[in-house]
Amino acid sequence: MYKIEKISKSYGKLRVLDNISLEFPKGKTTCILGPSGCGKTTFLNILAGLTPKDSGKLCGLEEDISYIFQEDRLIPWKNLRENLEFVLKGKMDKTRAQDLINEYLKLVDLEEYKYYYPKELSGGMRQRVNILRAFIYPSKVIIMDEPFKSLDINHKKVLMDFFISLREKGNKTCIMVTHDIDEAITLGHRIVIFSDKPTRVKRIVDIENYRDKIKLKEEISGELKKWDDSHPIRYLYLKTF
Amino acid sequence: MKIFTLKDRELSLASKLLIIVLWIVLSRLIDNEIILPTLSSTVNGLGKIISNPEFFNILGFSILRSLLGFIVSLTIAIIMGILARLSKVLYSLMLPIVRFLSSTPTIAIIILALIWLNNEIVPLFVGFIMVFPILYETVLKSILNIDTKILEMARVYRVSKLNIIREIYLPSIFIGLCNILSSAMAINLKMVIAGEVLSQPKYAIGTNLQIKKIYLNTSGVFAWIIIILAIGKLYEYLMKGIVTCIKSRRYLNPMEN
Repeated sequence: MYKIEKISKSYGKLRVLDNISLEFPKGKTTCILGPSGCGKTTFLNILAGLTPKDSGKLCGLEEDISYIFQEDRLIPWKNLRENLEFVLKGKMDKTRAQDLINEYLKLVDLEEYKYYYPKELSGGMRQRVNILRAFIYPSKVIIMDEPFKSLDINHKKVLMDFFISLREKGNKTCIMVTHDIDEAITLGHRIVIFSDKPTRVKRIVDIENYRDKIKLKEEISGELKKWDDSHPIRYLYLKTF
Repeated sequence: MKIFTLKDRELSLASKLLIIVLWIVLSRLIDNEIILPTLSSTVNGLGKIISNPEFFNILGFSILRSLLGFIVSLTIAIIMGILARLSKVLYSLMLPIVRFLSSTPTIAIIILALIWLNNEIVPLFVGFIMVFPILYETVLKSILNIDTKILEMARVYRVSKLNIIREIYLPSIFIGLCNILSSAMAINLKMVIAGEVLSQPKYAIGTNLQIKKIYLNTSGVFAWIIIILAIGKLYEYLMKGIVTCIKSRRYLNPMEN
């Protein structure tokens, strides 16, 4: 079990994260839902060590982690194989890295594109490599910041299927931020709902305990809507558009 | 109207022919070999220079000086550019130095170089002083333009600093330098020759230009100018060749890897 204890973060006087404590079961996917701008990305960046925290403790997350970004973040002058090699250098010998790259590329139907450069691929294919890079990297934890956000519905479905098959193969612990309740229910084993700033954990839902996914979706929507309605500016915005 | 339908290459050839025609006409009108030599006397002068047994020594040493100076400038610019990106202190230290080098009149630096340095080193130093700020700023700009998101990705995946420099910084620098390498090399050649004119090393194009000037041998000066232009063109092709070769390996024919 990976744990975080009493994580807090402020930017000046603005308190973004307020004493957040959570547990992430090993090998499971935890999805984090919450209102826009509540500090979900800041939270992920703290877990990844990209943003320093003000206080609190990260237990077990100090080891190597992978990150699936919203954008593919591929190096434009490197082909797919070289992009994957780039993160594996120094982590394993070259032959092992090559074998692993070939094996994983085959798994996501990208083997024939391994010498292609990012600009020669579609957005969906690039995002597939972004996901693949996270799984191929020898880490136990994968952090994901709305990885399917910029994709159309067809690409999203394909990528989510790839994600599930890669997750089964790699047995990794995933922590994913998303806006999409369906996505969270499909991919997650557990859903954490954040409140607005100062962000706290509002509710934790173990999906495996719910048989009726439609009812679960309604419950989570209601939870998020409660927040929307309680904020006059956001309420006005939603009513207007 | 017809001229606008010509291709770029034909236009360039036409402009070169126009310059030669103008030269022939003006030299006939002026009719004074010291002020403006004729085409034929320049060709004769060129023949005499080339037939001089020391010609290849002169040519070789000047080319060697300019190439050596350029490689030294490029190497130092890349190293300092990377270090300035990594250390804010170095960046701040380099800022006034680069500004000083860019804005001080070259002739003032040449005079100082003549006082301080050996005659053989002065041309190299002059070339360095002119080209280093251009190369350094290009290197720094290329590094600063690197997508911070890619650097962040490398940090998350704990890629070593050496690999980040080798695989992200250096290719970005190369892409930035591609656009200015030819012109920087041409400037370097011109400055090395200017340095040679003043410092008078034993074997140098600049030294020979100065001798021709002393003897009022204008056709000889013109002949050396033609040789310098030819070297400049050679450098241009050389740089284009190197850049195209590397670019094609990296981008255009990915299947070749």
